[in-house]
Amino acid sequence: MSDLDRQIEQLKRCEPLKESEVKALCMKAMEILVEESNVQRVDAPVTICGDIHGQFYDMKELFKVGGDCPKTNYLFLGDFVDRGFYSVETFLLLLALKVRYPDRITLIRGNHESRQITQVYGFYDECLRKYGSVNVWRYCTDIFDYLSLSALIENKIFSVHGGLSPAITTLDQIRTIDRKQEVPHDGGMCDLLWSDPEDAVEGWGLSPRGAGFLFGGNVVSSFNHTNNIDYICRAHQLVMEGYKWMFNNQIVTVWSAPNYCYRCGNVAAILELDENLNKQFRVFEAAPHETRGVPAKKPAPDYFL
Amino acid sequence: MAGWSGAAESDLKAAGAEKLPDGRTGVRLKGWHIESFNGPILNSSAVQQWEETLKTTHLPEMVFGESSLILVHRPTGTKLHFNALDALKGWKEEALPPVEVPAAAQWKFRCKPSEQVVLDYDYTFTTPYCGSEAREHNTPKAKLEDSCLGLCWEDTDEQINLAALSSQTEPILFYDEVVLYEDELADNGVSLLTVKVRVMPSCWFLLLRFWLRVDGVLMRLRDTRIYCAFDETKDEPLIIREINWRESPINVLSAKGYLADPAAYGDPNLIKERLPIVMHKNQKLKISR
Repeated sequence: MSDLDRQIEQLKRCEPLKESEVKALCMKAMEILVEESNVQRVDAPVTICGDIHGQFYDMKELFKVGGDCPKTNYLFLGDFVDRGFYSVETFLLLLALKVRYPDRITLIRGNHESRQITQVYGFYDECLRKYGSVNVWRYCTDIFDYLSLSALIENKIFSVHGGLSPAITTLDQIRTIDRKQEVPHDGGMCDLLWSDPEDAVEGWGLSPRGAGFLFGGNVVSSFNHTNNIDYICRAHQLVMEGYKWMFNNQIVTVWSAPNYCYRCGNVAAILELDENLNKQFRVFEAAPHETRGVPAKKPAPDYFL
Repeated sequence: MAGWSGAAESDLKAAGAEKLPDGRTGVRLKGWHIESFNGPILNSSAVQQWEETLKTTHLPEMVFGESSLILVHRPTGTKLHFNALDALKGWKEEALPPVEVPAAAQWKFRCKPSEQVVLDYDYTFTTPYCGSEAREHNTPKAKLEDSCLGLCWEDTDEQINLAALSSQTEPILFYDEVVLYEDELADNGVSLLTVKVRVMPSCWFLLLRFWLRVDGVLMRLRDTRIYCAFDETKDEPLIIREINWRESPINVLSAKGYLADPAAYGDPNLIKERLPIVMHKNQKLKISR
């Protein structure tokens, strides 16, 4: 068994790698990812997965439902880290699979694959806690800069973490972005990872936060028409039912973190496309309590004031 | 963190308390029925219904619509309850203007799409909610908000006996924490409304807390503490509540060095004392027959 296969087995047991192994794995991953396009071509059949957020044991459920990589060809739409308890193991397993089977798994970047966001929402602290230093966080966040920004399945289905941007009308405009950087605070690259479809707007909406675009059905129609796309598949927003179509089936949200944050009670979904692009959503629930290694449901009593 | 399987039978017995049957979470003692409900977030069709009820197109990302905490004093039918729907009604009514995130400054210089609307609802879901009251058997289903139909909060000098509450000598007979709603502000912070309760042999105490952090902008904490010491010599229970609103811009806190410990970002208990009080009220519940 090669070192890499051994590491994959170890990560499948939710045991993190040594710091030196992480460093070597990231170096290898970088060589592969740097060659990928900002609009990475993906062949069908493929199974599309949304946010995971460090819920390692639930991702194992996902693989049970969807089949193991490399037997199943996977596309993950980002947000591997933060919020859950096992961001390190989750991201490293996906990355190790990428290095081992580069043509059978595609990882694109979510808004959480960023230095700034991971310092607030858990991944930074988890690395510090598990390794006693921030080196692993540095290796991983350096790799985040190399992750592709989107994928195009058989030239028909455009996949991205967040959504569209008023700065981008064609796929070629995405291809010209220099992506090897921290996610910027504005501009096309930022929008692809951050924006949301919104029923309440026609055209473009600006979030009441003063930053962040929302886009309406007509924006999706014209993007799909211009680029000869059947529909857009994105993640980024929690959906209780695991997936949600909007705007007459022109865009679908796929969410793959069941019982999000270990308390929402939502189901998760993955989208399986066969070689003819026929769709099947596979809905799944969180791993049973005993196996997921999270605190028991009942909180310990506390003499709060 | 170890799970809590509940109070010891001997403690319950000594206090004359009983656990609720049939796997329900709660306790009965001294005329009180105290029960919590923890459910999942609203599904898509329920979200639609709530949006219609509340006349809004936006709800927090996670609304625990079936979750609640209920405390009923059976001899008087006095019912206190805590739920997301009433809290969101308060949000709609208060309707604070939106808070801009730091990136907004940069965004003002972006080229604007020709057709753009700016949404202007309060995305922080800040609510003045401090609980709901009702009278159980006298006026069934009647919701008594600011009207004084039998239940009315009035200002008082009486205070919650924090000394008694600080002592950890009494066992906790029932404890729970219920999340009512939560939003991640699209990764710009957190908005969280929770209520936790503890019931001891001599009293019950609860904390309803709205916690808001808009990263780089502000922290806001709205606490409602409610306390009731059991006194079986009186017909009506004495219920005292203390409302404390605190708030500060984050740059002020940083300048004073209060945010040097990154844990202070995530745990309102660590920053609470540093946030200036912007509103304070002490009230007691007037219960008329």
